Amino acid sequence: MSTPARIARRFLFNVLAWAVVLVIAFPLLWMLLTSVKPSSELFVIPPRLLPGEITFEHYRRLLTETPFLTYLRNSAWLAAGTTLVVISIATLGAHSLVRFSYPGRERLARLVLFTYLLPSVVLIIPLYLLMAGLGLANTLTSLIIAYTTFALPYALWLLRSFMKAIPDDLESAALVDGANRMQAFVDVILPQALPGIISTAMFTAILAWNEYFYALVLVNNDAARPLTTGVINMLVTSFNIEWSLLMAASVMMSLPLIVVFAFLQRYLTRGFSAGAIKG
Amino acid sequence: MSGIRFENVSKRFGGVTAVDDLSLEIGSGEFVSILGPSGCGKTTLLRMLAGLERPTGGTISIGDRVVNELAPAQRNIAMVFQTYALYPHMTVAGNIEYPLRKRRVAKDERVRRVREAAAVLELEALLDRKPRELSGGQQQRVALGRALVRDPAVFLLDEPLSNLDAKLRTHMRAELIRLHRRIGRTMVYVTHDQLEAMTMSQRIAVLRDGRLQQFAPPRDIYARPGNDFVAGFIGTPSMNFLDGRLKGTGSGRTFRSGDLSLPLGMLPLTDEMPEPDRRVRLGIRPEHIHFDRQGEPARVNLVEPTGHETILVFDYRGNELVARMDGDIAIEAGDTVKLAFRAEKMRLFAAADGRRLNDDSTA
Repeated sequence: MSTPARIARRFLFNVLAWAVVLVIAFPLLWMLLTSVKPSSELFVIPPRLLPGEITFEHYRRLLTETPFLTYLRNSAWLAAGTTLVVISIATLGAHSLVRFSYPGRERLARLVLFTYLLPSVVLIIPLYLLMAGLGLANTLTSLIIAYTTFALPYALWLLRSFMKAIPDDLESAALVDGANRMQAFVDVILPQALPGIISTAMFTAILAWNEYFYALVLVNNDAARPLTTGVINMLVTSFNIEWSLLMAASVMMSLPLIVVFAFLQRYLTRGFSAGAIKG
Repeated sequence: MSGIRFENVSKRFGGVTAVDDLSLEIGSGEFVSILGPSGCGKTTLLRMLAGLERPTGGTISIGDRVVNELAPAQRNIAMVFQTYALYPHMTVAGNIEYPLRKRRVAKDERVRRVREAAAVLELEALLDRKPRELSGGQQQRVALGRALVRDPAVFLLDEPLSNLDAKLRTHMRAELIRLHRRIGRTMVYVTHDQLEAMTMSQRIAVLRDGRLQQFAPPRDIYARPGNDFVAGFIGTPSMNFLDGRLKGTGSGRTFRSGDLSLPLGMLPLTDEMPEPDRRVRLGIRPEHIHFDRQGEPARVNLVEPTGHETILVFDYRGNELVARMDGDIAIEAGDTVKLAFRAEKMRLFAAADGRRLNDDSTA
């Protein structure tokens, strides 16, 4: 037993792990610190990590003088709407892909995966024309539909692997016990799939919350802009970047995700592992 | 009442035939086992009866009703699954209560009947537990409770004991027999374990490759197997088979295999053989082989004492022969002895289709 060697190895491992954490966390830390620095301290040379004076002025300005709250509300609607649509369809769809046997079922499942191969850039012009034709251009609805196109296949695939893990016999038992198909689904399958549904819902919400590209192309008025494009549009111009406001906005954009992560982290990690299992 | 009738029932999955033109009639209140090796279609048969699979052809009736088109919920059946299929998110009480809730039984009535079923199965102390907190035997009883609580016309049991340890299995076997006696409902029990089928059933349906081989009481299945498959499948160690030809006629009939010749004069056959040189299989159970000074010589290859009996494996003119003898027999591998068969216990099968050729009266 080479105890010193083991201690050394563990020490090395810890140093490495902390180094990785630091590299990943530093920009976030910098963002947080910058958002509470007075603008005058931003560009001092040499740069200072800790603010000399803490101010919440940028937050106040952001909330009172800009459409930030409108963007926030739009983003919230988008995330909630997309998640609701995607989860409703994906839950039933995944159940069908796992439990019902019909010709082309496996092919359909693979086709869903195939949609990943298409870069979203290819789809964006047709989608825009489609939305314009439907009279939905510049609406949140158009974004919910657009997000659904890429979030749904992902959610289907993820939920499929969760549903596969639920034993067939459970549903059979419910049917024999007197439930019809829908009751068996609601009474027995849904409660079993709930962790999977929660983690899929989180992935979907994060996807919608962070989406930039579709929002940029499909929406160009402030009433329907989400945070991602809204903040950039308002604070980053060709002449100036409002760094303090940008950092404050970034902090507030990240906050909801961090809160959600903190509460539902265990579901999220389950989602990662479920996605890793070959469907 | 609630007998069950399968008429020419078939089930195909794509190109695979799981159940092939099967007809079977189960009496009301009868305990019937469906027995066969894995993949013989027995579970598919049960699932069709439950309404979980739709037959490709034929009709299934429960009582006087053809149930082909009825959903499982409408068939008045209860089923116990091999995996128990307890609802993991419900308590024991919730699991047992579920079939009653789906049938809109009033709350008071539900509570009363759950308590009754729990009392029968000694589950009272566990009612608030979740299934994962129970042992295998307890889970099994909850699954039974969920079936029992509704008082269905027919019980379907799909290998319910196969996940239990040997001791508990013996105990639950007795419990199930008692349960059947008390409630008197039709029970269809699927198993691959011949011991379970033999000890519990009033009749056994032996299945192979989706076809019914024989449907008879356990004693007949053992003593009068319908063909060489049933003969070989039932009984441990299984029946010995010798392949050979039938020579002579009437009382001068003999079985020939190489230079072995056994007189079959006292074994009446079901039909007269047209061909004089018919290929047959001679079957003899291990317990019907004994030492005999006038017998044929055989070399002992293996001695397996189990205490109350000794299983001996012989080399009998090039054939492997398994015999069951007394537990205190003094014999060793390498010894040469002389063996004879109890003539009236020999069974003769047609080599072509396996059909038994000797008459029932000799059983």
